[in-house]
Amino acid sequence: MAAATVPLRALRDLDSKLGSVFDAAFPSSANPWRHLGALAFLCFVVTIASGIIAFVFYDTSVAGAYRSAVSLSDDPALLGRLLRGMHRYPADAFMLLTVLHLAREMVRGHFLGARWFSWLTGVPLILLLWACGITGLWLLWDERALYSVTATAEWFQSLPLLAEPLARNFLGAEAVNDRFFSLVMFLHIGVPLFLLAATWVHVQRLAQARIWPPPLLTCGSLAMFALLSLIAPVQSLHEAATTRTPPRIALDWFYLFPHPVADALSSAGAWLLVAGVLLFLSLLPLWTKLPWRAPLPAVAQVDPVNCSGCVRCVADCPFAAIVMVPRTGTGKHALQAQVIADQCVACGICAGACPSSTPFRTAGELVSGIELPDLPIAALRADLEKRVAALPGSNKILVFTCAQATGGAGLADAGAAVIPLACAAMLPPSFIEYALHAGAGGVVIAGCREGDCEFRLGDQLVMERFSGLREPRLRRAVPRTQLAVVWAGEDRARIRETILALRATMLRDTNSGTLLRIT
Amino acid sequence: MPSAIRYLLQALAYAAFAAFIGYFSTAPAYRQLDDNQALLKLSFSHGAQLKEKCRERGPAELAKLAPNMRARFDCPRERSLLIVEIDMDGKPLYRIEAPPSGLRHDGPSIVYRRLAVTAGKHHFRARLADGPDGVLGYEREANVELAPGRVLIVDFVPQQGGFVFTGG
Repeated sequence: MAAATVPLRALRDLDSKLGSVFDAAFPSSANPWRHLGALAFLCFVVTIASGIIAFVFYDTSVAGAYRSAVSLSDDPALLGRLLRGMHRYPADAFMLLTVLHLAREMVRGHFLGARWFSWLTGVPLILLLWACGITGLWLLWDERALYSVTATAEWFQSLPLLAEPLARNFLGAEAVNDRFFSLVMFLHIGVPLFLLAATWVHVQRLAQARIWPPPLLTCGSLAMFALLSLIAPVQSLHEAATTRTPPRIALDWFYLFPHPVADALSSAGAWLLVAGVLLFLSLLPLWTKLPWRAPLPAVAQVDPVNCSGCVRCVADCPFAAIVMVPRTGTGKHALQAQVIADQCVACGICAGACPSSTPFRTAGELVSGIELPDLPIAALRADLEKRVAALPGSNKILVFTCAQATGGAGLADAGAAVIPLACAAMLPPSFIEYALHAGAGGVVIAGCREGDCEFRLGDQLVMERFSGLREPRLRRAVPRTQLAVVWAGEDRARIRETILALRATMLRDTNSGTLLRIT
Repeated sequence: MPSAIRYLLQALAYAAFAAFIGYFSTAPAYRQLDDNQALLKLSFSHGAQLKEKCRERGPAELAKLAPNMRARFDCPRERSLLIVEIDMDGKPLYRIEAPPSGLRHDGPSIVYRRLAVTAGKHHFRARLADGPDGVLGYEREANVELAPGRVLIVDFVPQQGGFVFTGG
């Protein structure tokens, strides 16, 4: 068990460090490492758009396929080069970014619990993507295309399913006819359409799915592909000829890597490798079912008596795990929230959105309309009161941290009390005002890196609530000089700096300010 | 950090990514053959002779069968094993025993092999047995000048007398 977690922790550290490296160059909200899926989708769209234009110039015949591709490269106005480059390079980047996206989500454990759906619908996309890319390379009908189509045929005919060897179709010049190109073109158009539909399914259980990267990354990526297309134009090799094959072939490694693998392992070995990897990825969601694994946190629960049917939890849930249903008991509201347990990741964002989560309530027991059974609002209020009371001095600082990012550990020396939450957006804004009333001199909210919330939308929701753009709002009367928000992930040093900076501000100026401190 | 430096770092990040994509879209070149090698492809599909001859049923045996099943001859469907031997310059290159395809072993035998051979002038001898006795009844010899990178295809077409050498 320990041996299994050590490499995983190392990979998570690597992921965090890579994110930090890009933070040095990019704004945190536009860090490309945290938008791999969206960048992959951008590449997909660019590839489709350029492919539609390229199709106008493509000749689906044995005699014309190669010539039509080469004539694009020879266009003196360079538009053909640009077109080929804007088709090929984003397609290559699409594969790379998709694999990185999958690897990152795997390292972060985003196949567990309610996320199984997105995971399992995402894994087959790689196969579809591979089919899109390799058929595109065949259409060029150069030596690389003939090598690849023959190697692919040899690979597939090793399966005991076919009566005739597929590769015989590419043995002689007379064996390949115009219909082959029509068939490949059909696949090259049809599979991407299927991939597009499968991508739509992939994000179905995500609310406000971020399929587009931030504008800065979009513009930068498009400019990068355009420049690459002109500086390193995509070139065809010699025209395909069944009577010769080059000893060395310039492979597109993003799509043609199975051929060297099959050569090295044998066709059967390559199939076993593919099957093994797919099986491993597909079975990952069962990880928590293993008897020695700790169970996942309990999902959110609705208390119909306290649910007013306001739908704020429905609007804020990042996983579309809450629906409104007709009220089951007595009450003046027609609807009440209902949690779809299979889709809930127990982030607690719904509790942060619920108007009944206010700690100022004094009538009866404090029970929120929707909350996490493992961390109810009443327990959070009691914890807050206890920790504020235990802090010495007059400039008490309370830190609400996202448990996923920091876990609250390593901040004790900053002289602040730390309350870990499932997600920063789990904290109802009224708790900040309550903490200040209870004796805290300042409050720090520390969460995952901006745009990298473990639960997708936490940082965005917090900022919208604090800025008054979203219910429940942080009241204007709450002095902003006593509040700091830091999206630092596991960077405890930065959180500590924020705490110290807030303390210094509190000592210098106790007047109410208008700006919220965000670091 | 000053914004100019951040823009520079962004440009460097894009350049590094573009260089990675640009490089691996065509490189490193994959070597499938040595510079002095050519490729021999042996590929055909051929239905061998039936493994057993048809047997004539006797009157008593026919009487035991249902009226609609009383065929005079009992012909087993299973085909013989196909044996192929290819020699190059007097040395055996291949000896393949290809079983008939199909669940009842009544389909054609399929042979597909790809082999890199040294370029140059070679003498090839191909033989094939498709009967139950295993006799190599088909034979063809050919002298072929194989240039580096060329592909020699060895096919088997009974209508053309057996083995056919093309390319090279």
